[in-house]
Amino acid sequence: MTEVTYEARQAEGASTRQLSFAEAIREALAEELERDEAVFLMGEDIGAFGGVFGVTSGLHARFGSRRVVDTPISETFIVGGAVGAAITGLRPVVELQFADFAAVAMDELALKAAAWRYMHGGLFDVPLVVRMPEGAIGGAGPEQSQCPEGLFSNVPGLHVVVPSTPADAKGLLKSAIRSDDPVLFFEHKVLYKQRGPIPDGEHLVPIGVADVKRQGDDVTIVAWARMVQLALDAAERLVADGVSVEVVDPRGLRPLDQDTIISSVKKTGRAVIVHEASRVGGPGAEVAAVLAEHALPWLAAPIVRVGAEDVPLPQSAHLEQFVIPNVDDVIAAVRRVMGHA
Amino acid sequence: MTEANVALDKQLAEPGVSGAPLRQLFETMVRIATWEQRLLQFMSEGHVAAGFYHPGRGHEAIAAGACETLRRDDYIMYDHRGCGHVIAKGVPLTAIFGDFLENVAGSTRGMGAGIVHIADPSVGVLGQSGTLGASFPIAAGAAFSSVYRGTDQVCVCFFGDGTANRGPFHEAANAASLWKLPVIWICENNGWAISTSVEQSTSVADLTLRAAGYGMPGVRIDGTDVVAVYDAVSEAVTRARRGDGPTLIEATVDRFRGHFMGDSESYRDKRSDAEFSDRDPIVRAERLIEELALMTQEDMQRLRSSIRQEVEAAAVEALAAPKPSRERIFEGLYK
Repeated sequence: MTEVTYEARQAEGASTRQLSFAEAIREALAEELERDEAVFLMGEDIGAFGGVFGVTSGLHARFGSRRVVDTPISETFIVGGAVGAAITGLRPVVELQFADFAAVAMDELALKAAAWRYMHGGLFDVPLVVRMPEGAIGGAGPEQSQCPEGLFSNVPGLHVVVPSTPADAKGLLKSAIRSDDPVLFFEHKVLYKQRGPIPDGEHLVPIGVADVKRQGDDVTIVAWARMVQLALDAAERLVADGVSVEVVDPRGLRPLDQDTIISSVKKTGRAVIVHEASRVGGPGAEVAAVLAEHALPWLAAPIVRVGAEDVPLPQSAHLEQFVIPNVDDVIAAVRRVMGHA
Repeated sequence: MTEANVALDKQLAEPGVSGAPLRQLFETMVRIATWEQRLLQFMSEGHVAAGFYHPGRGHEAIAAGACETLRRDDYIMYDHRGCGHVIAKGVPLTAIFGDFLENVAGSTRGMGAGIVHIADPSVGVLGQSGTLGASFPIAAGAAFSSVYRGTDQVCVCFFGDGTANRGPFHEAANAASLWKLPVIWICENNGWAISTSVEQSTSVADLTLRAAGYGMPGVRIDGTDVVAVYDAVSEAVTRARRGDGPTLIEATVDRFRGHFMGDSESYRDKRSDAEFSDRDPIVRAERLIEELALMTQEDMQRLRSSIRQEVEAAAVEALAAPKPSRERIFEGLYK
């Protein structure tokens, strides 16, 4: 596990390269395409067009249409075909244009990619990465705004990775591409333009290892993807109240780095879990259950979950803002566990 | 009628002209049927649960004829009507028995793969999907992979008439034809999806009509004629290997038994095997072999008897293997 804190890396960032989240992903893809002939990209509009969010921009020009493959609109084929390619020696990195489209390819993700090796007695490797742009961006509606990573917490055989910074995105994606297991890689669309420091040289982040993005003593906020920034902003504002917040980013849900979360909560005695997906039945329930099982005697206050309201995302950008969590919601949750609410 | 149909009719009119290795095809079909007969014995003896087996009696010519045209490194995605495809592709009989017996002799070392998840990458058997139709995109992906890697391996995807109606076929067939992937789609049309007939479920009486929608040839053959299967699949494989893309083959057959062992078959009139004899691919091959004087009745009896011994030896070996211990459930999930 890394000992380098978020602040330390931010400070260090002054002397390293700054890339956006999208650029970091592109750099990871380019490096792995360069390194391994078995790696290829496949998805809708990812070729010369560069993807609807521009993430694969320039890769087609550099690697050609054999390595960067535009597909018909066919999520079932994109994921199922990738499974076929993965079990016969290739390392596909496919893109579902929106993470919501996982629903279209659910059989391929949950029962083929995830279970092919196991149900066939371990005879096949499934080195497959499915990149999925997720999250609310203001008005994309209920079928192009979800954060469905929690659905896959319950699917043995998958890795579920959810980065929150450009450096994590790059390092985790490179690890995902080199993994012999299927990895679902969720990229929050709001993060694409956000910039951050990227270490020079080969940069790999192991899958399933949390990162403490801010150290603190009074409350642990467990948050991932875009919610990490909300948690850090809330932590900054709570300094004025004399509340010291620790922010733990699990950087993925499967495997969930329980040890880092549990030891942080044992230290602070309070836990707030923040995710953008709906609170009811959301992935925060699993984190809360882990804490209830392993850290209950250390808790000074009940665990609080912050998540979206229990409705589909409205198409209206105006209404959307009332559904997904904001910084004030996180601050209110922290005050609640501090007994200041 | 397609060009392929014309060519095929011509060959069948002159059986001696076809290059089909009839003796080998007959042997494979007998092995498939004998293996199944022994599996049914395991069921009556209580070693294997009957309800999960979907007997393939009547379908032997499709598996034998198609796989005979393939190389060891070609891929198949099989369907779950009998175990003919994996037998014909060369998975050891002991391993297939072991999968049904849920013991470590199985190809999956005790996972109890049964009729759905037998696999053997060393002979190109890529496994199968228990959700019908999910094999379509995987087959297209395997074919994409051989093109990408610059090999000339092909992938044969077997499926039933029921599965022909699943949506993934559309996405996979479109991509496969668009990119001229080396896939051979083989539909085994026995007229029944469990209890639902083709007439009740399918928009066209002739499934090869759908081939035109994907810009690929569609070839309808008698799936009980092993020479017809061999010839049609040979042509499709040649086409696929030279980069001309997929072919859809519909092979019509009869399903001699119920969908699963113990199926009441309340939905159709039951017939005895004897009543099926004109649609029995093994009986038909036998007649042809005699007609062509390739083997005598005595030769064929000797072959049957030697296959019975081979199958029995595999059954005995498989039965002796132990079931896995609890640790097995944690193996093979991740690398």
